[in-house]
Amino acid sequence: MDRLLDMALSAVLLAGLYATMAYGLGLIYGVLRVVNLAHGGVIMGGAYLGWYLHDRLGIDPYLSIPIVLVASFIVGVVMYQGLVRRLPRGPSGGPASLLLLFGVWLVLRNIAYLVFTGDDRTIRTAYSSSSVEIASSHVSVNRLVVLGLAVVIAVTLHLLLRRTQTGRAIRAVAQNADSCTLVGIDVNRIYTLTFGIGSALAGVAGVLLATLFSFSPNSGSSELLKSFVVVVLGGLGSVFGVAVAALIVATAEVFAILVLPAYLTTAVGFILLVLVLVLRPGGLFGTRVLS
Amino acid sequence: MGMRLLPSVFSLAMLWAVGGCKPKAAQTADRSEILIGSTLPLTGSEARIGGFFKEGYELAFDEIAKQGGLDVGGKKLPVKLMLNDDTSNQATAVNLADKLINSDKVDFLLGTYSTALVEAQSTVAEQNKVPYVNGGGAASEIYKRGYKYIFGALSPVELLGTTLMDWIDEQQKAGALPRPAKIALLWENTAHGKDFRKGISDFAAKNAGGYEIVVDESFELNGKDFSALLGKVKAAGVDLFLADAHLPDYITLHRQYVDARLCHKVVSYGARGSEKSAIEALGIENVSYVLSGVWWSAQLADTLPLAKKFVEAFKAKYAGRTPEWFQALGYEAARALFTAITQAGSLDREAVRAKLAVLKMESLLPGGTLEFPADKGGEVQNLFVVQQNLPDGKAPIIFPKSVAKAVGVAPNPRCAQ
Repeated sequence: MDRLLDMALSAVLLAGLYATMAYGLGLIYGVLRVVNLAHGGVIMGGAYLGWYLHDRLGIDPYLSIPIVLVASFIVGVVMYQGLVRRLPRGPSGGPASLLLLFGVWLVLRNIAYLVFTGDDRTIRTAYSSSSVEIASSHVSVNRLVVLGLAVVIAVTLHLLLRRTQTGRAIRAVAQNADSCTLVGIDVNRIYTLTFGIGSALAGVAGVLLATLFSFSPNSGSSELLKSFVVVVLGGLGSVFGVAVAALIVATAEVFAILVLPAYLTTAVGFILLVLVLVLRPGGLFGTRVLS
Repeated sequence: MGMRLLPSVFSLAMLWAVGGCKPKAAQTADRSEILIGSTLPLTGSEARIGGFFKEGYELAFDEIAKQGGLDVGGKKLPVKLMLNDDTSNQATAVNLADKLINSDKVDFLLGTYSTALVEAQSTVAEQNKVPYVNGGGAASEIYKRGYKYIFGALSPVELLGTTLMDWIDEQQKAGALPRPAKIALLWENTAHGKDFRKGISDFAAKNAGGYEIVVDESFELNGKDFSALLGKVKAAGVDLFLADAHLPDYITLHRQYVDARLCHKVVSYGARGSEKSAIEALGIENVSYVLSGVWWSAQLADTLPLAKKFVEAFKAKYAGRTPEWFQALGYEAARALFTAITQAGSLDREAVRAKLAVLKMESLLPGGTLEFPADKGGEVQNLFVVQQNLPDGKAPIIFPKSVAKAVGVAPNPRCAQ
């Protein structure tokens, strides 16, 4: 019974991590219909920025989140204005955006190699090895913080999209960009803003990951894949769908060890992805409109 | 038309025959230098370690240059290293090896680093019948393909498991560890991990009644969550926690191990444990008493004359830095090739290959000698040295006793805290 409780707790904590990684990817796809393959690169960049601020300037990784958020937002805006905006819209732009953003990812990776070398880095703070006891299980403080932030981000995004004028404009553009132009919404501005927010969320995910794992310029690919699974499962464009999908994937992976060898547990998420794509292509909670 | 071609064909055949009959010694006598080709991962994911191997190669070539060249059949010939960056990429490593052999016309090859790259690249050497000496490929799978031109200076990971178990067995016999001891065996799902598992499980099978493997699980590289796996270990109530992991997984796995407040009488992550970066990432208080097995340690300088000479030369060349096993293995692979060339007295590839196959030379590796046994596919079988992290940040060699710098501690004192 203790073990099952341990596993349930682990699943919730892992879900926090997956959700944090996936929000940015889901938001950008939900509004722009662009699969941001540079997402992994921005996560890796956020990890390095957090590491740099901590290692060189002594800033606590959690206190560095606002700086990483702004920096990643700017990167996203530049990426959109400089590259993505120039792509054709509609189905013909799909493959082009995939190739372009994959190229951006490779560029980001190689810049990291040049600047930081291929060495593995970690962020270690005074509380890196601290844990608290919850229901006779020991839980890492960092993991709890990541879970907390995953909830905060989901609620904030929800409020932004539901309660603000900008959020309503984002949702409107996600529904029908052409109609928005007719009613005076600056669609290009909304796209830029969305790409910026999505990238900012990826950057924050990067700094949070860096508090838990070592990373190198090669990091980001497994994060991108996992984010993709979560976003497709949750329904492209649904914030809470992403959070719930993260919980489903994490629970399936953690409990799979009861029936599968450990090395196969990471494949469980991908099996779920295939099943959802076949049986429910819109995702478990899929809506075309962000909610 | 056919008749017109005949004289040309005949001339070509004669030229080929004359070239083919040319004595090998004369070929060497005509040569002004020896060309040795190599690739290393100088950029990409393995760049850091590739750079270390480069330092080892360069030191070995510098020493030959200082001696006025390599003695080949009584003539001193300068040795030139043609080193390319394979970018940590298998395809690039293969293409560059082909270019080195067929365009640059190198005489011999020194290997790259990492099992995946060595495995792919050595096939090119084999196809072209070029002796290929490497210090960067440890997985025994590389040497089980029946290749005749590959020689590995890195002992198989299987022996790492065996060496660790040898020390553990001593502790068990001394009463410091329970009998039977329950083992949790976690290994990365790679050739490296499979070799480690084989070393541990073969030892446990041979010592039936002494050891019981109750958790035997592999994991994928670059894992993010080991909590379920650690939960299984916790539930099994094991005595020995033996894992094999690369550095990123070691850091992630051990962080979660510490978070879960686990502690076992013996803790090891295979070759990982004593790295400065890992200690910084995990904190010395969390990695104290972790065991690691490595192919070579600078501490061997106190017991092996060649290791001492190497450490001194390395420090003199690289601003007082202490070498790690990567540089030592690069250096030793180059030295083995040089020795075989001198013994062959020729640059003939077949002659050098034959000398490598029977080579037995004094070495800086544990055991003090180096040879490439044919029954092991040309892979050396030197024992590992076992180190144990101490709370003061040092990691002395504790096994084998002949080179030990301290007495190993078991059971893990951290568990009593």
